[in-house]
Amino acid sequence: MTQTTYQPGEIKGLIEIEASKCKGCDACLKFCPTHAIEGASGAVHTIDQEKCLGCGQCLINCPFSAIKETHSALETVINKLADKDTKVVGIIAPAVRVAIGEEFGLGKGELVTGKLYGAMHQAGFKIFDCNFAADLTIMEEGSEFIHRLHANVKNEPNAGALPQFTSCCPGWVRYLETDHPELLPHLSTAKSPQQIAGTVAKTYGAKVYDTKPDKLFTVAVMPCTSKKIEASRPEFNSAWQYHQQQGQDVPSYQDVDAVLTTREMSQLLKHLEIDLANTQPFDGDSLFSQYSGAGTIFGTTGGVMEAAIRTAHKVITDEEIAQLDFTAVRGLEGVKEASVTLFDKALDQEVTIKVAVVHDMGHNIEPIINDIIAGTSPYHFIEVMNCAGGCVNGAGQPIDTSGSGWIGNLG
Amino acid sequence: MMDKKPLFEEDKFFLSRRKFMAIGAAFVATLALPVAWFSNKLARRNDYIKARSAGLYQDDMIAKQRVSHANSAVEKYYAEFGGEPLGHKSHDLLHTHFVDRTKLKS
Repeated sequence: MTQTTYQPGEIKGLIEIEASKCKGCDACLKFCPTHAIEGASGAVHTIDQEKCLGCGQCLINCPFSAIKETHSALETVINKLADKDTKVVGIIAPAVRVAIGEEFGLGKGELVTGKLYGAMHQAGFKIFDCNFAADLTIMEEGSEFIHRLHANVKNEPNAGALPQFTSCCPGWVRYLETDHPELLPHLSTAKSPQQIAGTVAKTYGAKVYDTKPDKLFTVAVMPCTSKKIEASRPEFNSAWQYHQQQGQDVPSYQDVDAVLTTREMSQLLKHLEIDLANTQPFDGDSLFSQYSGAGTIFGTTGGVMEAAIRTAHKVITDEEIAQLDFTAVRGLEGVKEASVTLFDKALDQEVTIKVAVVHDMGHNIEPIINDIIAGTSPYHFIEVMNCAGGCVNGAGQPIDTSGSGWIGNLG
Repeated sequence: MMDKKPLFEEDKFFLSRRKFMAIGAAFVATLALPVAWFSNKLARRNDYIKARSAGLYQDDMIAKQRVSHANSAVEKYYAEFGGEPLGHKSHDLLHTHFVDRTKLKS
């Protein structure tokens, strides 16, 4: 019985340093949020897998391309697409649509939603936009926040913990689980959009697609490496559990069967000889491609908070927010804070909500956590994303060589 | 006497002031060029992150609906299947629990 930070069945050792390529230059060290990389300067480095979050920031910033992923579902997905008995559902994360174009010669940051839908449709995917699931996340996470806020204002016993943390980022969740488990009650219990998408696709989606849930194969296309670990968490088979309760009896399956990074999706399209840059735009094939602007900004730092504020305003005051652009939480500052004062109809009083947005987690989160432990945190709601800039700069994205591995993303 | 080596070799080497300045200038220029290149690269090293974020904010601007609760597909999901946010089905399907990983054993 040895100590481990992995549950049975979870992907362990996702990110690995190739000894033959590592020059021991230390560039990766400043990108690792958990100091999981070991080895003297000049000597080959290794990753302590118990500490590793799988965020892969070292991988995209290694000047020698010496760091790789050990798990790829590419071949499985190719086989499933060829299997006539299986309906393959492609779940597209927000940040993918502004980066995958780079792999096909389009400009940096070019928005290619229609072309990506078109290319994946041609490849045989059903289109399930993860932004739709992000909208569901806001409904659940936002309601949960308001529930906790009201219970705290009314001093109810067992009122949920404030500040509430967002729970969309798998690196952040794993960090809290390994390093500060005493703060887990602060995490929103809402699943991440990826997991909501997988669950909805195999429950409600099974009706929409008129297909047996075990004949649906869900492929999440993510800007993130850590999402692969998240999808493998043993508790994430809720669609199977749901159908078991409904009387179906088949072997267990995960809510998300496979995760491809943005890079792997572009490899898949190239393998199938689909040129995304010259693909006809496609609108989608079900209600699952319908999403709001709030859902799409989940992919950048501050986006989840901005989306939550827009909906919380409506729920708390019963009126739509006048100024949709909540610019105080935009931009690349390490910690952004803002406060909103609203008239709460249910409480019949004014409430001031203080929020904070943290990204580039390894460099910015500890002071915030220490304040909460000390009981001096001024905030009610905190968004945390591991990667600098948010998911748009996740380790599954096309690698941009203008980034400077030796100095750090945000200096 | 003529065979005796001079004490200091430097006497044999003469560099005019003009030539010295020219070589010096060339040397400084080769140093300065990469500094400019380097600082330019530094200043632009987050541009790809900003460009991708700008792409998402553009997607937000052109969206027919810009708030989650106005997404009619979300309404349809709750009406036909999910019930309501934080409801029983949401608890089972859309929420989760977390794991204290300091207590796991293999």
